[in-house]
Amino acid sequence: MLPKSIRLSSIAIYSATFILGVLSLLYPFISSAIVQNTPTGQAGFGHTPLMLTVLLSLSLVVLIYEVQGQVNTKVIALLGVLIAINASLRFIEVGIPGPGGFSPIFLLIILAGYLYGGRFGFLLGALTMLVSALVTGGVGPWLPSQMFAAGWVGMSAPILRPFVQRTSSYSNSKNQSSRIELLALILFGFFWGFLYGVIMNLWSWPYFVDPVGQYGSQGISTIELISRYTSYYLLSSFFWDLSRAFGTALLLFAFGIPILSVLRRFLHKLTFQHDQTNLQEHQFQAAIETVLKDSIHIPQ
Amino acid sequence: MINTWTWFIWIAAVLIALSVTRNPLYIILILLCLFLLDTQLALKSRITNGADDNRSIPVSPFRIALMLITLSAVFNAAISHYGETVLFSLPTSFPLIGGSITVEAFVYGALNGLVLFGIFYAFFILNRALSVRRLIRVIPRAFYPVAVVTSIAITFIPNTIRQYHQIREAQSVRGHRMRGIRDWLPLLIPLLTGGLERALSLSESMSARGLAASTANQEVWWGRIMVLFGLLLLLIGWILTLFTDWLLFGSLLLISGIGLLLIVLWLIGRSTPHSTYILEKWTWQDALILSGVAAVISALLFPLPFIDKETLHYEVYPTMHLPGFDPFIGILLLGLLMPAILIYISNISVQE
Repeated sequence: MLPKSIRLSSIAIYSATFILGVLSLLYPFISSAIVQNTPTGQAGFGHTPLMLTVLLSLSLVVLIYEVQGQVNTKVIALLGVLIAINASLRFIEVGIPGPGGFSPIFLLIILAGYLYGGRFGFLLGALTMLVSALVTGGVGPWLPSQMFAAGWVGMSAPILRPFVQRTSSYSNSKNQSSRIELLALILFGFFWGFLYGVIMNLWSWPYFVDPVGQYGSQGISTIELISRYTSYYLLSSFFWDLSRAFGTALLLFAFGIPILSVLRRFLHKLTFQHDQTNLQEHQFQAAIETVLKDSIHIPQ
Repeated sequence: MINTWTWFIWIAAVLIALSVTRNPLYIILILLCLFLLDTQLALKSRITNGADDNRSIPVSPFRIALMLITLSAVFNAAISHYGETVLFSLPTSFPLIGGSITVEAFVYGALNGLVLFGIFYAFFILNRALSVRRLIRVIPRAFYPVAVVTSIAITFIPNTIRQYHQIREAQSVRGHRMRGIRDWLPLLIPLLTGGLERALSLSESMSARGLAASTANQEVWWGRIMVLFGLLLLLIGWILTLFTDWLLFGSLLLISGIGLLLIVLWLIGRSTPHSTYILEKWTWQDALILSGVAAVISALLFPLPFIDKETLHYEVYPTMHLPGFDPFIGILLLGLLMPAILIYISNISVQE
């Protein structure tokens, strides 16, 4: 397959999984319109909360399959170690719960996604959730939506780069971080602190509240549904998510620049490629002879 | 030992059972099956390891049950103002929660909480029954980079925690004290740098052992096209079932899309070279558990003549009434108890 067609098919797969994921999460809003249109006014196959989990899991599986396609041994090892660090942080979080929904795991997901790219960020976010669930016994139907949401956090982080490049003297090669860059990351972390909660609530809403209370009853307008969801969100999660948003912003403020400089330093080591195709045989022999001359002292 | 896939099929049956009914009597019966299984698994763990080595969250499942049922009942009563038995009314000027608070809304919320707890408890048991190693082993072959990353991460977690303690001790010796959030920096940065250094040496040793860069799914070009096609079928099918009257055609497309995606991923996985060190066998115990699952599924999903399926659909609104109970459904639901019986027999024989 040609690189251009690979890129095109990649974009198509990303778009399809994104649309499917978003539609699955927004289905209670959509489903109300459909129920109004059906003769019985009853929700049918495809409207059940279990269907949401199945569709979300499938789009996650396809997205992971697509993203993992371009990883090499360096990325595999780096991901493994960073996930271990992040999962250890979550392990501590489970043992010693912080205030509300505060979680330290978004710090590394955002910074690594921002610097190493969306694919890396997605895998770091999604697999952190998977590994920590395996270790803490948190495997359940909520896991696909947690993986999806955390993956999206990392995947969306690189969208800050063009903004930062335009508005500051950001330079990747100089290993420097600007105040604008830090501010952008803090705002991004704060925003995702809330959005993560909104996504997880969209997943839990159909399970938690009865169909009459949300969708399913005839004659409910979309605005009424949004207001019902808002009341559910404000009652159940607003303060919980507020602490997550503030916590992530605080961690980014306190540790963002030092961690970014460490990650930048390793970026050069990780992007090093040994290009064998351009290495001619005589160059290779010359290189070997130079190494031998330098390292072995031959007595005259 | 019960096969990993048997456990997955068993939990699928529990999820189906909890999804199709809101009858509290059936839900309590399912929870009773789960409780007995949990007790037997805990006993097995104590017999084999000398202690309950449950790796799950450090909160009792029954506290979680109390929390889920209470929260769900309160949220539902506050948000949903349906039902005829009014307990009290909040002024409608109250934003979000103003209106009648009814017994029916409380009860429906509590039932939802009970179902949620059932789902949570079933997965709690699955996590207890299956080791991390067995869970990683079922990651499909098409996802071997993910499986490798997961294995590395799980292997490195104890190392990371050990390294963190070493760094903390070293910094304490140098006089470092934790006063504010910035004081975490001398711990975090060495931890991160050490981890990244380990990642580099690990990647070199992986390359030296022949683990090449993964371009497998790019080489399987037909796989990419079929995955895309499967996604499109799924999307179109679902949209048709949601927005049009073509329910049958939409459902067919939806199921074809799901089937195509699963088949393509399985075929791609088959082309991935792998070594199997431990092969799980299917035994008569698996057959017994699967027959129990078949009994549950047939009671809940198939139109059996001697079963009154109306009792499954318990509706609290508009006025609460006592739920019905069909003894045949109750007996068939006990099929979920099969793993508990087998583990009980195994525990007895080990103790003797």
